[in-house]
Amino acid sequence: MIEIKDLHKSYRMGSNSLHVLKGINFKVDDGELVAIMGSSGSGKSTLLNILGMLDGADSGEYTLDNVPIKNLSETKAAQYRNKFLGFIFQSFNLINYKSAVENVALPLYYQKVPRKERQEKAMKYLDRVGLKPWATHLPSELSGGQKQRVAIARAMAAEPKVLLADEPTGALDSKTSYEVMDLIQKINDEGNTILVVTHEEDIAHMCKRIVHLKDGVIVEDKKIEQVRAEQYV
Amino acid sequence: MFDRDIWQEIFNTLKTNKLRTFLTGFSVGWAIFILVMLLASVNGMENGFVGQFNDDATNSIFVRPGTTSKAYAGFEANRRIQLKNDDLEYIKQSFPDDIEYISARYNANATARYKSETGSYFVQATHPDHQAIEKTLVIAGRYVNEADVVNKAKVAVIGRKVAEDLFKKEDPLGKFVEFNGLPFRVIGIFTDDGDDNAERRIYAPISTYQRIYGNTNDINMIALTYNPTYDLTKALEFSRRLEDLMKRRHKIDPEDQAGLYVWNYAEAFENISSFTAVLKGIGIGVGFLILISGIVGIGNIMVFTIKERTKEIGVRKALGARPRQIINLVLLESVFITSLSGFVGLFFAWIILAALGPMFQTPAFSNPSVSASTVITATIILIIAGVLAGLLPAMKAANVKPIVALSDK
Repeated sequence: MIEIKDLHKSYRMGSNSLHVLKGINFKVDDGELVAIMGSSGSGKSTLLNILGMLDGADSGEYTLDNVPIKNLSETKAAQYRNKFLGFIFQSFNLINYKSAVENVALPLYYQKVPRKERQEKAMKYLDRVGLKPWATHLPSELSGGQKQRVAIARAMAAEPKVLLADEPTGALDSKTSYEVMDLIQKINDEGNTILVVTHEEDIAHMCKRIVHLKDGVIVEDKKIEQVRAEQYV
Repeated sequence: MFDRDIWQEIFNTLKTNKLRTFLTGFSVGWAIFILVMLLASVNGMENGFVGQFNDDATNSIFVRPGTTSKAYAGFEANRRIQLKNDDLEYIKQSFPDDIEYISARYNANATARYKSETGSYFVQATHPDHQAIEKTLVIAGRYVNEADVVNKAKVAVIGRKVAEDLFKKEDPLGKFVEFNGLPFRVIGIFTDDGDDNAERRIYAPISTYQRIYGNTNDINMIALTYNPTYDLTKALEFSRRLEDLMKRRHKIDPEDQAGLYVWNYAEAFENISSFTAVLKGIGIGVGFLILISGIVGIGNIMVFTIKERTKEIGVRKALGARPRQIINLVLLESVFITSLSGFVGLFFAWIILAALGPMFQTPAFSNPSVSASTVITATIILIIAGVLAGLLPAMKAANVKPIVALSDK
């Protein structure tokens, strides 16, 4: 599903440049649940930005669902993001004046799905994260865990190939974190490919594979025995 | 463009920032208000001027004799020129295509008496065409006609004030009134928009008065209107031809300004038109300058809004919003605020003009109003203004990197 070969990225900071990613080789198959770990400055955010087509690499190859991702125009990148990727953010990033269902429908709006169909689909995904009764509520009326579940429904609404979660539990307490992870695991059980960036060990162990980044290179890449979040809920 | 979601978003931003929206919109609304008021005022002045001059037909020319100031063709200077009936016929035959109406004027004063009432009035003896030239409005009876002139009939068309003065409550039509002892039959009463003096006047057939004053052929003045299809250039060219011809006929030096006066209404009218055009230009100019500050104000606020919504825009982009969709959103919002506030300004201006406009009926200023064309122009201006105000912020918004969605501040 995702294939990265010898990926390099550096940032120019005034006169000297900062080499952040120093040749990443990395492959994710269909249906995987991968945790990307690393301390701050390890390059995990940069990797996520590149995977999310929010930023371009300096050199190297990136193929997503057999489509080479290179030199994209802004419009093309937006189209690909919309088609291939679903984002889950640490701070949820729901649009605060839109109701839960409208937030979920937003990616579909950008896909130019007709209003009625959009509404139905959004409802379906909201139901899947168990928030159907909250459909008309504004984000300010939801708890942190509920907000993240709305965000997950939003990420899934466009039926992307890959879900990218950037510290999805970073702003939640541990109980809510496990609830969210439980949901992510269940979505993965259905066959969806998910990448989770985290620095929390327990969250990482709820995935099926951990990729450890340090100073711009992968230092460890191992399959693990998944800890089910269900038992903590 | 007419997407419910876009409108929902626009209303939402406006709703969450009511005061800001109001203050921003106010500047544009105020600008449009001033622009419309200025234009309406100029319009009012124009109406006033035109109203004053409308008393006479605007395509009229007056030919009045004077005293020569230069020796010419064997004649000495200081020769008095006298127009005669022949001159009228001569002009008529010389310019059959140029002339619409033509009439001579013979002026006299008359002491009028009816029963015990007397009064002194100005009598203007004319041809029937004079009614059209002077735009005399006959409210009862009729004006002098061709038969009156041929028969030298002792008939009179009296002003409304004359009728009031002499006849009090009686109906003057058909009654005989004495002018300097001679009985004249009242055949008509006229009214005039001008001052009261214009209604203290009497019209009579020219031939009648020429006979009374010693069977003369003299006339005081020739009034005519030219072909109404003529534009200003053609009208001026005609009056020049007329002047040349009359000067030749009366052996006046073509350069002599005092021998014969040919006064063309179009000239004066043109001066007024250009005067009001300049005023209108100033009005539009000032209005636009104020509008520019309004546009800058909206642009300013939009930039601020975009800055505030950077994260949201980033999220939208991460979710697949194309730069174009973001630009549309911002532009539409800008156009919406600008147009809405502009129309509010327009509406207030319209209300005030509708309420106060009819109160201004002075000669120099009447019926200031907003025309449909002003409204349409204002609408176009507002949409352009909205786009201009939103353009920079929209581009700024389109340049927001979706990465900001990931950075947690």
